[in-house]
Amino acid sequence: MKLKGHKINGGRVEGEAIVYTDAFSFLGDFDPITGNCLIKTPELEGKTMINKILVCPTGKGSSRGPLNAYRAMKLNKSPKAIVCIEAEPVLAAAAIVANMPMVDRLDKNPLEVIKTGDWVKVDGDNGIVEVIHLGN
Amino acid sequence: MFLTQEEERMLNGDYGRGVQKSTELLVKLGEAFDAERLVPAQSAHIHCAISLDLLLELTEGATQCRVITTTHPNAYPDVLDPIGCKRIGLPENYDIYEFIHGGPWSQIEDIFKRLGYLLTYTCVPFLVGNLPKPGDVISWGGTSGAVTATSMFAACGSRDSVPANVATSITGRAPHIGMAIKQNRRAQVLVELDQLDLDHFTNADYGALGYYIGGKTGSKNVVINGLKTLTLEQFRYLVSPMPVSGATNICHVVGVTPEARTLAQALGRGKPEEVITVGKDQIKEAVNKLTTTHSDKVDLVKFGCPHCSIIELRDIASLLDGKKVHPNVRLFVATAKQICVLAEAMGYVDIIKQAGGVFTNTCLGSQDPFNFIGPKLGIEVVATNSARSAHYSARTSGGKIKLLYGSTEQCIDSAITGKWRAIR
Repeated sequence: MKLKGHKINGGRVEGEAIVYTDAFSFLGDFDPITGNCLIKTPELEGKTMINKILVCPTGKGSSRGPLNAYRAMKLNKSPKAIVCIEAEPVLAAAAIVANMPMVDRLDKNPLEVIKTGDWVKVDGDNGIVEVIHLGN
Repeated sequence: MFLTQEEERMLNGDYGRGVQKSTELLVKLGEAFDAERLVPAQSAHIHCAISLDLLLELTEGATQCRVITTTHPNAYPDVLDPIGCKRIGLPENYDIYEFIHGGPWSQIEDIFKRLGYLLTYTCVPFLVGNLPKPGDVISWGGTSGAVTATSMFAACGSRDSVPANVATSITGRAPHIGMAIKQNRRAQVLVELDQLDLDHFTNADYGALGYYIGGKTGSKNVVINGLKTLTLEQFRYLVSPMPVSGATNICHVVGVTPEARTLAQALGRGKPEEVITVGKDQIKEAVNKLTTTHSDKVDLVKFGCPHCSIIELRDIASLLDGKKVHPNVRLFVATAKQICVLAEAMGYVDIIKQAGGVFTNTCLGSQDPFNFIGPKLGIEVVATNSARSAHYSARTSGGKIKLLYGSTEQCIDSAITGKWRAIR
């Protein structure tokens, strides 16, 4: 399935999706040392975000979030890309400084059509997200 | 995006790698939010939790920042009162950003100085020389400063990130988005006040009002009707908690802020999307949220989130004059170095120190060192007059620090008696 949206940051990658249904911050929701998710839901707690495609509604929280994303990138512990409903400047800056392709404003709600574990292709340059095959 | 010839040169690397990288970041950010162009910025304010490698990337080859740039509170709490800080249990050279920095702090400070960043180390840049005019585009780290400057001084500060703050300081540009666009500043939610005793409203009452409003309005623009006049301190207590319980960019106060001479002006001659009424019950609800214990025993009292102004230091000194802080209580007061110098000249510092208070220019909000090491030192209950600080301490300590929230007078009373009690 192909979703068409809007470019926040360019680049093309693919990987396994990790879906979070609340606004996300790289400060508080993510540990840049381990690359683990710090969100305390049964589905996500302790899961690695390394090389994952983060799917979330939007960003939130501290202006320092992008610094955590940048540090994680330097340690090879960052997610690969971000797909969200509507971006905001702090999460967008995280994508830009940590070289993560990022797409928003898709023609379908990514939280409804992408599930954790799905294999997803993100084309940041053209604002396209493709769900290649479904996870378990 | 349209770029001027000068901006094209910046992007092409004619001014070095740092300016190029910084311009690239701002152009990408602008394009992400459909900006048509960059605009000249007039002011930047930089968080000290910047990483050395990113700072080097964004500033390589740059000799000077292009706009006035000040720095946010430092990770080292011991600049104003190292002996006092040690006495109340803070380790020397305490650095909670060590991991983020990814290199020695001294190297970061050297770059700051080389670029001409003013080493103010405070969250109140407008009180120490970085005061924007109406319409100035600012890129400020620290949401309390940004919401105050945007609301009180009609500056254009939007939700922003540390890398963008640095990029704006180096290029003198910002993307034309957010509060820089006039129609984005129009109030969306109207707040009406219902029978509040404004004649006896304390700073903590203003904080509770702001905290309540932020929680109800999220990222919407706010206008408050019914506050006749506000001092700068009252205004700061009112708006500083809004971006922590919500994500407020701008709060107009009718009759006080420059873009709200009248309610109609704040609403852009339109109708509000929503009307909220705040009365005594709502203030109580906010105070109850900010109070996380029924204990009457107080371990630490803190003032200065955001950093105390000279007027607040005067008030704290006058309440403490000739008194002694209870031996079981730590009293922690945060302000800027520059304000502390004035307070010293006025004798306020001596009075507060003689009473047993300790000064700091670190952050007593989200990065308050006691949020992290307090429980190890036996600090369980903290009293404060700052809604912002109470909110952050409860959260960043993972609930280990319990909060009591009340007026400056009540907090000082608890520092002297060791007990939290209703006063007056």
